[in-house]
Amino acid sequence: MEGAATLPAWRANLATIAALMARARNELLRVPGAAIPGVLAPTIFFLGINGVFGALTQLHGFDTGTYESFVVPVSMLQGAGFTGAAAGVNLARDMEQGWVDRLLVSPAPRWVLLAGTVLAASARALIPATFVLAIALALGAGWPGIDGLLIAYLMVAAMAAVAACWGSALALRFKSQSAAPLMQAGMMALIFTTTAYAPLALLQPWLRSVAEVNPVTRVVDAARQGFLGAVTWSETWPGVVALTGLLIVLGAWSLREMRRTAV
Amino acid sequence: MSELRKTARVVGALGMRSIRQTFRRPQLIAPILVFPTLLLAIQTGGAGGAVNLPGFPPVQGFLQFMLAGAMMQSLMLAGNSGGIALAVDIEMGFTDRLFAAPIPRYAIVLGRLAGTAALGLFAAIWFLAIGLIFGAELHSGVVAVPIAIVLVTATAMAVGGIGAAIALRTGSASVVQGLFPLVLVVLFLSSAFFPNGLMIQPARAIAEYNPLSFVVEGIRDPIVSSVDAGTELEALLAVLGIAALGLVLSARALRHRLRVG
Amino acid sequence: MRSATTAIAVEGLERAFDEVLAVRGVDIAVGEGEIFGFLGPNGAGKTTTVRMLTTLLLPTGGRATVAGHDVVAEARQVRASIGVALQEAALDPLMTGRELIRLQATLQGLPGAEGRRRADDLLERVDLADAADRRVGTYSGGMQRRLDLAAALVHEPRVLFLDEPTTGLDPVSRKTIWEEVRALNDDGTTVFLTTQYLEEADQLADNVGIIDRGTIVAEGTPEALKAEIGNPHVQLQLAEGSVAAAEQACAPIGKLLPPRDARTVLVDVENGSADIPRIVRALDEAGIEVGALELVRPTLDDVFVAKTGHHLEKEEDGSGAGAEPEPIEA
Repeated sequence: MEGAATLPAWRANLATIAALMARARNELLRVPGAAIPGVLAPTIFFLGINGVFGALTQLHGFDTGTYESFVVPVSMLQGAGFTGAAAGVNLARDMEQGWVDRLLVSPAPRWVLLAGTVLAASARALIPATFVLAIALALGAGWPGIDGLLIAYLMVAAMAAVAACWGSALALRFKSQSAAPLMQAGMMALIFTTTAYAPLALLQPWLRSVAEVNPVTRVVDAARQGFLGAVTWSETWPGVVALTGLLIVLGAWSLREMRRTAV
Repeated sequence: MSELRKTARVVGALGMRSIRQTFRRPQLIAPILVFPTLLLAIQTGGAGGAVNLPGFPPVQGFLQFMLAGAMMQSLMLAGNSGGIALAVDIEMGFTDRLFAAPIPRYAIVLGRLAGTAALGLFAAIWFLAIGLIFGAELHSGVVAVPIAIVLVTATAMAVGGIGAAIALRTGSASVVQGLFPLVLVVLFLSSAFFPNGLMIQPARAIAEYNPLSFVVEGIRDPIVSSVDAGTELEALLAVLGIAALGLVLSARALRHRLRVG
Repeated sequence: MRSATTAIAVEGLERAFDEVLAVRGVDIAVGEGEIFGFLGPNGAGKTTTVRMLTTLLLPTGGRATVAGHDVVAEARQVRASIGVALQEAALDPLMTGRELIRLQATLQGLPGAEGRRRADDLLERVDLADAADRRVGTYSGGMQRRLDLAAALVHEPRVLFLDEPTTGLDPVSRKTIWEEVRALNDDGTTVFLTTQYLEEADQLADNVGIIDRGTIVAEGTPEALKAEIGNPHVQLQLAEGSVAAAEQACAPIGKLLPPRDARTVLVDVENGSADIPRIVRALDEAGIEVGALELVRPTLDDVFVAKTGHHLEKEEDGSGAGAEPEPIEA
């Protein structure tokens, strides 16, 4: 018997990505309170770090008097990291429950299956980012301007994609939710070993060395610029390059892991 | 064998089980050790310049100051973890096996707390070792070690009692897990990570009265300066207060669990 | 129904997990339009074999083609040609039944309108139309299996893989699935069915392959395999403690077979019902009380016992899917 007639490959791929993103959206819409942990963690960290370390702005070398302005982009990125890592945890859960077999047995290309997970995480990360931003503005953080805001959101969406690639690669390698702490810790380490708490010059020597080579430092600086002053291309392009590089490396790794999971 | 010895054996066996469970599953050990260690490194490296702020207590370095906070974070998460594990036992039906056994009911909770206490002990030793390896000094000398160990272990049990109470009352691991952010909130609103006097309001006001602040100061004092009896007494009273709360809540929750099945 | 074309060709297929060889050199040929029953106990290697044929697992040796495509070199083409309903019904509890089939249609590359139409048709066909807009998490086990089957059919695959489709189902649900499988096969779909239930293989399969400990131990039509075994056997239900004495009494009359449980004695009888009076006399002379005595024609389990030395199914298996023994002939 003949099989059913199918769409051209590019249309089928787009439709599959859209369908997988719609499925990811189900968890937000159909599980009460599903959005809360993703929003709560960065918000608590923002309020906590601000309340605890806010006096750091008194140190010579801080170019802003409001610690809220300094920290809010970090919290937005932290929310992105958390959301992306959570996408990896969900993938691990789907593997444990056999759902991923359904995807792997279909003719959809592997990169399409990954793209669905990654793009869903990017979109979802905008929720905690907006929530944290609203709180920060209420507490006195500087308005970043439309250009600063757009760049911050771009950094958030791309960081979530990076985190989703990282989480997915680990999920596909370990096939178990027990890898969840590694997914979260990895992103936490990446985002906080930067100028997260203080400018480069005020970091302890060991952390300064790490931050100088950590590509996410460029991302933090790019996301932060609008909150501290004017947006410039020279502050922006290093962040874009850093995220592109991370996406290429982690995306390739996660794709490789997916190809190894089945034939 | 006397009743007391029998109970002690049961508590010991259940305690060993809870320790084995934790060390065999990475998702249980990570929040207790990995995250607090990571946070210690990040905060020490990132906010270490704080020691130069006017009004910052005299310390050898920010790491020395932060060790107590890291231990607090670890023990709080151990208590939360213990609660999650007990809730999983309830969901799986394992507690039914224990309830059906000829053991005192309270031994079930005590066994879980024994496990949590052991994790607290491990955390205290871990962070003291990390501190010493990375150059922090114990200002009071070796006496700081048993003080830290006693306070951390006792507080872990006290907090574990509250975690156990929530587990027994709700029977749901995801509810107990959902309280994890609350742990962070309570810690941030204490002097775990920064001196009270330099925190921003309203965090400062809350931290002044937060019992955890007293416990943290009790652990921190011998590390950053000489032992002060008043500070240690306040710490002990705070621990006893938390323990009493945990005891009352878990006793009532246990009665509730036995009623609802 | 068989055809000259081979839908599934397996040669020397192997899969090792570290030191353990779960599948050791399996050879299978399934013609187009055939129902192939793949039978074996838990842990025999059935699911591992199916996962290799459905491109979910890389073989470590041998080769296989499905619908004319190599499972390693042309994996994507294989996936476009097959429908799969796996042992763990891979469903999302948060989705509705309709959403799941539509998603499957999208995964298979079907246009949106076509996917929707097929979803409606299939839901009707597997009697889930009323539950289509309820979440899968609210479905019973039987409903979930039917949904899984419907999803596997959305793109009209040439070859359908069913991995233990009725395990854990009640008899009514099981019969429904069987009817559906027969209907599909009548439409020309090749079906590769793994099962641990004799009756299922007996009822549905054109050809049967029996796997034990990673190797094919027998292959052929159910009738041919049973005819190979030849003799029927007598099944004696005894009181506890009298099995040894009964075995001693029956040994001179026929060949003793491995017991199914602690109160049964099985005796292979060359002369069929003619040997029954001799058995009854021998037991009577030995003073042994018999609870029940039945003459049982060969089943696939007997084939399995002959090839491997142990039973495929335990008598105590609660699913009740084993072949029923016949009453004594007059």
